[in-house]
Amino acid sequence: MMTTEGSERQPPRFSHPAEAEFARILDFYGIPWEYEPHTFPLAWDEQGRVTEAFSPDFYLPQQGLYVELTTMQPHLVTKKNRKLRRFRELYPDVPIKLLKRRDIRGLLLKYGLEEESHVVLDNPPSGEQVKQDA
Amino acid sequence: MPDTSPLPDLISHVLYSEETLQRRVAELGAAISADYATKKPHLIGVLRSVIVFMADLMRSITIPMTVDFIAISSYGPSTKGQGGVRLTKDLDQPIAGRHVIFVEDVIDTGLTLSYLLHILKARQPASLQVCVLFNRPQRRLIDIPLAYSGFDVPDHYLVGYGLDYQQRYRHLPYVGVLKEDKVLPHRWSRGRV
Repeated sequence: MMTTEGSERQPPRFSHPAEAEFARILDFYGIPWEYEPHTFPLAWDEQGRVTEAFSPDFYLPQQGLYVELTTMQPHLVTKKNRKLRRFRELYPDVPIKLLKRRDIRGLLLKYGLEEESHVVLDNPPSGEQVKQDA
Repeated sequence: MPDTSPLPDLISHVLYSEETLQRRVAELGAAISADYATKKPHLIGVLRSVIVFMADLMRSITIPMTVDFIAISSYGPSTKGQGGVRLTKDLDQPIAGRHVIFVEDVIDTGLTLSYLLHILKARQPASLQVCVLFNRPQRRLIDIPLAYSGFDVPDHYLVGYGLDYQQRYRHLPYVGVLKEDKVLPHRWSRGRV
């Protein structure tokens, strides 16, 4: 596992509005979190260099839980699902939770954030697809 | 006699009938009565959606008990940017040394419950357990042991039996599934899995 030094001490630059909203919810309920603090190698070349890696969006240190968010439509999440499967194969003892589009929608509705849902779910910033599939 | 009146417009179908709810709540009450036979449980609920469940649960408990309520601000459009959770109504009675059962209507992420249990534990009850009617484990982020759990519910927006949508439907004696495609922006329904 690789670590991004000091990531929790800098105001993170979220790559998607859903991540920013999720961080605000965690803050509200006093749940400590870190944003993309760790990177897990998923594949290596013949020289042992990392060729594929995965950085879950959030780490909740009190729970020891990683959380990955995706707002992509279900039919577009194939690559992300493959990465998660590989992650679970290589790191079976590392708990990770995937919040899918429907989960995020349910969370926003629960908190009465129907208007925000437009921004979070339907107006991704440019480049989101690249980031989410990375 | 079964209720044959039409469902409200925004409810697609009944998930749990009044009879099903009453039967399960009675089972929970019986379990609590047995487990706390030598103790005096102190039930605590967080306002407002728990009130219907709490009222039925209390009446199904056959041993001496007491009850109290707490209320907190929840995350939402009016509280964003206002810091963290605020207690809007504290408990009326101290809980130190008492056998507390925290009663909750729905648990999904566990964020609210985690916050409340943290507050209650700091007040040093003799014991602290959780009783929930509707459990949504698929959404859980914070793992919380549940001593009593009524139903594992599907991932739908539920109303009735105290649960509301924009303060509506709390009074219904059954639990129904909200027509999400009718109340949410159309685009939301695209993501249904």
